[in-house]
Amino acid sequence: MTDNAYHASYGQSDHLKLEKVRQEMEYINTIGKRFVAAIDRFHVHRALLFALQDLYSFSACCILLFDETPQLFIIPCQPLSASFIQEMVQRIVSAAQVVDFPPLDIQHLIATAYMDAPDEVAQYRTQEAMECTEVGSVLNIPLTVENRIIGLLCLFDELVGTFDSEMLRLTTMIADYAAVALDNVRLRERENALWRRAELERQRLELILRSMAEGLLITDEKGMVISLNQSAWQLFNLAQVDIARNQSFYLADIAEERPWLLHLSQMIEWALNGQTITNQELTVGDKDETVPLTLNVSVAPLHDASQNTPRPTGVVAVLNDVTSNKQVERLKDEFVSVVSHELRTPLTAIKGYTQHLIRRIERRLQKARAAHNTQPASMEGQESPESYDLHNLRIIQSQTDHLERLVNDLLDLSQVQSGQLTLHCDTFNLAELLANCVHSAQASSEQHTILLDIQTPESAVVADRERIAQVIGNMLDNAIKYSPHGGQVTVNLERTEEGYRVTIKDEGIGITPEQLDHIFERFYRVRNTTSRQYAGVGLGLYVSKAIIDSHGGTIGVFNNSPIGATFYFTLPFKPVSKPLQLSESL
Amino acid sequence: MPDMPDHPSFVSRKQVTEVYLKAIRLIDDRVTPLLGKATTRVLVQGAAKRLISQYPYLDFLAKMAYADIDPSAIQEQLPDVSPQELAAGLNALLDECFHGLRELTGNIIAPPLHEEVTRHIQQQQQP
Repeated sequence: MTDNAYHASYGQSDHLKLEKVRQEMEYINTIGKRFVAAIDRFHVHRALLFALQDLYSFSACCILLFDETPQLFIIPCQPLSASFIQEMVQRIVSAAQVVDFPPLDIQHLIATAYMDAPDEVAQYRTQEAMECTEVGSVLNIPLTVENRIIGLLCLFDELVGTFDSEMLRLTTMIADYAAVALDNVRLRERENALWRRAELERQRLELILRSMAEGLLITDEKGMVISLNQSAWQLFNLAQVDIARNQSFYLADIAEERPWLLHLSQMIEWALNGQTITNQELTVGDKDETVPLTLNVSVAPLHDASQNTPRPTGVVAVLNDVTSNKQVERLKDEFVSVVSHELRTPLTAIKGYTQHLIRRIERRLQKARAAHNTQPASMEGQESPESYDLHNLRIIQSQTDHLERLVNDLLDLSQVQSGQLTLHCDTFNLAELLANCVHSAQASSEQHTILLDIQTPESAVVADRERIAQVIGNMLDNAIKYSPHGGQVTVNLERTEEGYRVTIKDEGIGITPEQLDHIFERFYRVRNTTSRQYAGVGLGLYVSKAIIDSHGGTIGVFNNSPIGATFYFTLPFKPVSKPLQLSESL
Repeated sequence: MPDMPDHPSFVSRKQVTEVYLKAIRLIDDRVTPLLGKATTRVLVQGAAKRLISQYPYLDFLAKMAYADIDPSAIQEQLPDVSPQELAAGLNALLDECFHGLRELTGNIIAPPLHEEVTRHIQQQQQP
């Protein structure tokens, strides 16, 4: 259509109407652009003042926003007196009550109000009207976003009748723009705050991971290592595994001739299937070394926060270098081994000579008693020096026996630690052995009743008789020791498909769940709630477990209800070598 | 500024509710183009909340948007409130709404609308 044709098809009035629409749209477009471009609340304030001051002049514009706490922004267009501000805030508080905002404290609002005075938009009136002292006109317009009132736009003027209904209509439109812009700013500020907090948290976490002495390895849901902290990287370097700092990799791909990496990879696989593996020792260094590099590893599955996915989203492994601990342990074991061997020699001599002296004195006393029968009655009732010596020597003998048991325990420990616990197996009757042990234990404890319950007519077994007697004796000793008020101890023997099961049930102090986890550890000793001390060095059960393990059996304990504990062990008909357990040294 | 009729001679709670809901809708019609729908809704609900201690039966206006109120349901919900008592409470509500309007916009909307609403109620009361 040409210009002439265009003009011909529209009349003069239509043309004026179009021009008016164009001007209105231009105005709205200008305002809209300013609000859309506002990146913070002060830009919104400027856009608002720019739009409003196009319409009329006023003394001040205030914005009350209600987020978590009320925020009041006062934008003076000319100097305001304290009384003017006080009155403005009073009117704002009243208006806020009308739109159902929570009650506001005027003084607090004045004290916390933010004065934003953009010079470029401030309109100065005449010098006489420099300072406004009294409010003449007020307009409070709720700021609404999607039918939700987020605050108030309040306009004040010292003159009366500044605002009319037409102005109100236009101001409401501008307030709608301002409300959306302010809400956007609020959302952006909140988003920025969340990002800042998340970033700070990320940095803090990174700092923690970097400063951790333990190595930390994180994988994705497929088991690919996606993150290593500084300590883990150093441990890999120490183990001469060459890996790039910031590259993902599969452990199996770099395992080559390193079985420990394959084991670690296997543990990660288990964790990806939901299993948590704790405190597994991996021998990283060459086993021929005196103390090879050893890692204590715990691996746990990682689930996302929502817990919606059944399969872990990754795995976290904590690697702890325990080589120095191993070194200390080794030195300790060597020391214990040497000392117990060195103690054994003089102990044997002491024991032998004590026994010799006891026999000599016993013989002398026998002779004396024979002679005594011919002595006058006045000598009766007097204790001879030999009797006194014999009594003392028996104390020495008893204590030497005790010392010998301790030394034997320490020697057993050395053998277990060095893997030199040798078995001398032959066939014997387990029921008979149990009967002997029960008889011996019963003789040493009058407070307890020990019952023997044999559930099988046949109990032949191939095992190390002395060692099994040691295990039974140890369990019976414990049953008696930890039943300080006496009671019944029941020893049961039953035959199973794989072998025999021996249980020893007492009515003693029982074992707490925490103690159950450690009871078979070396040097671990049970203390009851009254902190009563029980004799022993905490090696009996450790050695017993090693003996039963070496026979291919199992050993365990559980609590009885309501009192006492039950220890049990199983023995195969003949010793079998068990497959290597994960909990054992890998 | 005219006051609302003091002793309206209504015969039923339903009639009272109908008359005053119409008055509120009139306020809605006049205020919404100037201040928006959300403001009118909050104006009425806020006024009802402030008056609950004095007129507990105005609770229904504080909880529900007035557009959703069914006058015949009020008849059943307020069996112990007489039509006169209900009219007094709703009268106070309108006064509170106009007070609120004056707080917001001074004399731009409230005085002419107050007159219009009073006239409307008086017309409705006439037999």
